[in-house]
Amino acid sequence: MDLIKTENLDKTYSDNGVPVEALKDINLSFERGEFTVIAGPSGSGKTTLLNVIGALDKPTNGKIFLEGSDITIKKRKELSALRLNKFGFVFQAYNLIPVLSAIENIEFSMMLLGIPESERRSKALSLLDELEIKDLAYKRPNEMSGGQQQRVAVARAIVNDPEIVFADEPTANLDSVTGGKLLDLMEKMNRDKNITFIFSSHDNQVIERAKRLILLRDGKLDLK
Amino acid sequence: MLIKIAWRNIWRNKRRSIIVLSSVIVGIVAAICMDALQNGMLYQMLFNQINLSTSHIQIHKNGFIDNKIVQNTIPDNNAAEQAAIENEHVSFYSKRVITFGLISSANNSSGIFLFGVDPELEKNVSIIISSVVKGKYFETGIREVLIGTTLSEKLQVDIGDKIVCMANMKDGSIGSDVFRVIGIFRSPDSEYNKAYIYVPITDAQNMLELGAEYHELAIITKDYHFAPQAADEIESKLGERFEVLSYDEVLPLLVMQLDMYKEMIYVINFIIGLALIFGIINAMLMAVYERTQEIGVLMAIGMKNGKIVNMIVLEAFLIGLLGTIIGVVLGWVLYKGVLINGIDLSSFAESLDSFGIGAILYPKLSMENLISLLLTIPLISIIGAFYPAYRAVKLQPVTAIRHV
Amino acid sequence: MGLLLKLSWRNIWRNKRRSLLTLIAIVFATMTAIAMRGVQIGTYDVNIKYVLNLFSGYIQVQKAGFQKDNSLTKNFKFSQELQNILSENKLIKGFAPRVMSGGLISFKNNSQGAALIGFSPKHESASTTIMNRLMEGSFFASDTSYDIVVGYKLLKNLNAKIGDEVVVLSQGIDGSLGNLKFKISGTVKFGNPEMDLSAVFVALNSAQELLAMENRIHSIVITLSSQGDLDEVKTGLQNKINDASLVVLDWGEVLPEFKQSIDLDNVSGALMLLILVIIVAFGILNTVLMSVTERFKEFGVSLSIGMPQIKLVTLIIMETVFIASIGILLGDLIGYGINSYIHNNPITLGAEFEQMYEEYGFLPIIESSVDLIIFLNTSLVIFVISIISVLYPAYKVYKLEPLKGIRYT
Repeated sequence: MDLIKTENLDKTYSDNGVPVEALKDINLSFERGEFTVIAGPSGSGKTTLLNVIGALDKPTNGKIFLEGSDITIKKRKELSALRLNKFGFVFQAYNLIPVLSAIENIEFSMMLLGIPESERRSKALSLLDELEIKDLAYKRPNEMSGGQQQRVAVARAIVNDPEIVFADEPTANLDSVTGGKLLDLMEKMNRDKNITFIFSSHDNQVIERAKRLILLRDGKLDLK
Repeated sequence: MLIKIAWRNIWRNKRRSIIVLSSVIVGIVAAICMDALQNGMLYQMLFNQINLSTSHIQIHKNGFIDNKIVQNTIPDNNAAEQAAIENEHVSFYSKRVITFGLISSANNSSGIFLFGVDPELEKNVSIIISSVVKGKYFETGIREVLIGTTLSEKLQVDIGDKIVCMANMKDGSIGSDVFRVIGIFRSPDSEYNKAYIYVPITDAQNMLELGAEYHELAIITKDYHFAPQAADEIESKLGERFEVLSYDEVLPLLVMQLDMYKEMIYVINFIIGLALIFGIINAMLMAVYERTQEIGVLMAIGMKNGKIVNMIVLEAFLIGLLGTIIGVVLGWVLYKGVLINGIDLSSFAESLDSFGIGAILYPKLSMENLISLLLTIPLISIIGAFYPAYRAVKLQPVTAIRHV
Repeated sequence: MGLLLKLSWRNIWRNKRRSLLTLIAIVFATMTAIAMRGVQIGTYDVNIKYVLNLFSGYIQVQKAGFQKDNSLTKNFKFSQELQNILSENKLIKGFAPRVMSGGLISFKNNSQGAALIGFSPKHESASTTIMNRLMEGSFFASDTSYDIVVGYKLLKNLNAKIGDEVVVLSQGIDGSLGNLKFKISGTVKFGNPEMDLSAVFVALNSAQELLAMENRIHSIVITLSSQGDLDEVKTGLQNKINDASLVVLDWGEVLPEFKQSIDLDNVSGALMLLILVIIVAFGILNTVLMSVTERFKEFGVSLSIGMPQIKLVTLIIMETVFIASIGILLGDLIGYGINSYIHNNPITLGAEFEQMYEEYGFLPIIESSVDLIIFLNTSLVIFVISIISVLYPAYKVYKLEPLKGIRYT
């Protein structure tokens, strides 16, 4: 069965009173283990699409099925629980809570799931170790570089063993070398743990590494 | 120009400015209301005493005020009355016999102050006539007595009942007479209701064998502010056999309380200002922080530190001023619309009677307070802006511009 | 939970300056409130204690209706049974029988109004402090003496001196006018002008003789060792005294004006402090609002990864709870310091104020109270108001959607 399937997805939002059709009639499906990039020029709707299938936003029309169940009819609380349990997110910036150290940021996710304190620390440490950023464990975000922060963000995103990680322009604030390293990390997670990655990006480096590429233009799938 | 900028800056963050504004308004309205109530209370106490019996000026035989024995009658009635009539400030006067006595009914007796008054003259000088709640004021003027509500309850007498009054006569023996209760009064002062009785002056003079003598000439002046001056004028005319006292000499404690209170206002306003200052400092700090980038740019293009400080201080001052003005207007509206009708304090009524206020408190706005507020609060706003302004000019332009 | 706590604590210190300012504001409000309330209540307590111990006692036993009209006929027997009930009660410090009436006191040509009080020195010295107010001369020792002690101003007005003979005139309970000769043995100074001008004290039996009262009295004045025992003693007496025509009154019922003037002052004082606290609350509102909107991006991310709305709201409420608690605690400490200093070193007001205070029956002393209740009440009020001021920001956080937060400018 498809992991995610969208049907006739439309999204219109209001920009200062002017209606903007961000997505028009999107029909897509995703399978487990994909490493997919949604690409397109600025304003094409890629971030919107990511937000919608990531249950951060609701479509104006259409349905989205996650493992067969329609998430468009779920309530706010259910979606929140969904994101907690099944999804991981990496944003362009501001991923981490500034007053918590790297390891505490990761523990934070676990705490939300109800994982007891005793288990949290060890699991977080071993994850950091696996991602080769153990030395960052007790540093705060303002003590790390952009690239380091994003690496910790990835750790935070996958600590709860999500089905899918959504990454919205994760390399936008990084130089190409650091960006490349970040992508290496995410590919490794995709390979070793079979975590599905769905990106939205206009960064060529990211597009080049995509196993599958979805092009959007003006809110519509560009199947060319 | 700076004012325009400061003004518009205030409204950049509407929510924050409105919150600060609200705190200033609340503080001011509260200060005004509390002051109006306190002030009103004090003035009411004073005026009630004046209107009941103290009047604006009292003329006695010299020494009477410290020794109110029946023998101390006014040495020369005509001179006293003449001096009163001739003074330009005087509008009304009344003659009074004053002494201690004992009043008895079939059921009880009680020590009392006796006022023997001229029914017609007294009307212009005292509110006792309008305080009559049962029966009426003097009619025939022969052996009628007005007593207070509490006293009537204690003696268990009603209109038409007879009571006996006893007091020291001029020669030292005890004189007495029978009177008929013609009216019962409820004054704003519980002491009056308990222990003061009024009889026609001729009856009093007969009972005490005073002839035509009396103890006090009570005077109401056209404007009470001139009472002390008029009192001095009259005294210099009458000489040292007399004492002529204005109301502030008869009620020094009440007057002192009023004066003391006027000083207190400043202290209270200061404390309110202090409470407000924290909010202002915080708000201005936030405002400066938000505009770090902008301030950096202003510095870079050459705006001097002094002007930047002015800009920030001005902003705080305008908020303080606006809040004060709105607060004063609101307080004024509240005062005129609601409070001026008086506040019914029946639940506390007993105590207030004993202070001489009566059951309804009439608030009275004091100009001093309004002015004090109008000056203090905006000043406090300015002071509150100093620290944030200081922080603003300590910024380095280059770092500031890069600030995100 | 531990992580949330850690988080909220650290969030407070993200902006040290702002948090410090808010803290100082709360400390200021708390300590001012405590100091002012302490002084108010402490001064009341001192006054109440003084007045009650001086003359009116904490509790009085009277015939029903006497309090209202002071009618001579409302009297009762000072029975052995009553005396036993009173002596058995361990909480009662002392009790004293009294006879009261209005009359005229004359010396030669002069008469003045008099408030006649007949009492028993033996009982009074064990319960009230009246006899300590003796200014000159001496009090009589027995219940049957024909000595009289008068207010010092009254003596002056009579133009009499100690040793002179005076006549007291009064209406007895049988309606007839009685008079009796007394010898002035001393003067008292109450400080209360009314009393100093008209009070006359005679022996109990002599008063009863003057008023044709046989062995009856008007009231029993009862003093206690501790004001806190008031309710217990009052109810105890009400239960024990079988005579349905007698009532047991507490001082609030005996001196309603005194009580109400204290109540009035109390209310106005509390009101003023409430205003102060509300003003500070606006400041807190602003601070919290600012600190919350600053973090909308961060909140948006947290919500995205699945943090429940409610936890986020709890977070910011916790932050305010922390600051408020610290501020209140510090304010309590400083306030306690102030109050306990004044408590141990009461301030006596200068001569100009002395007169004014005495006129109203108050002592010219400023004292403070370190009663726990003050701290509890004040802390509670400030705490509650702090929480109320956080409600609006909390609401805004509750309504926040992840994307709106992330995109917030």
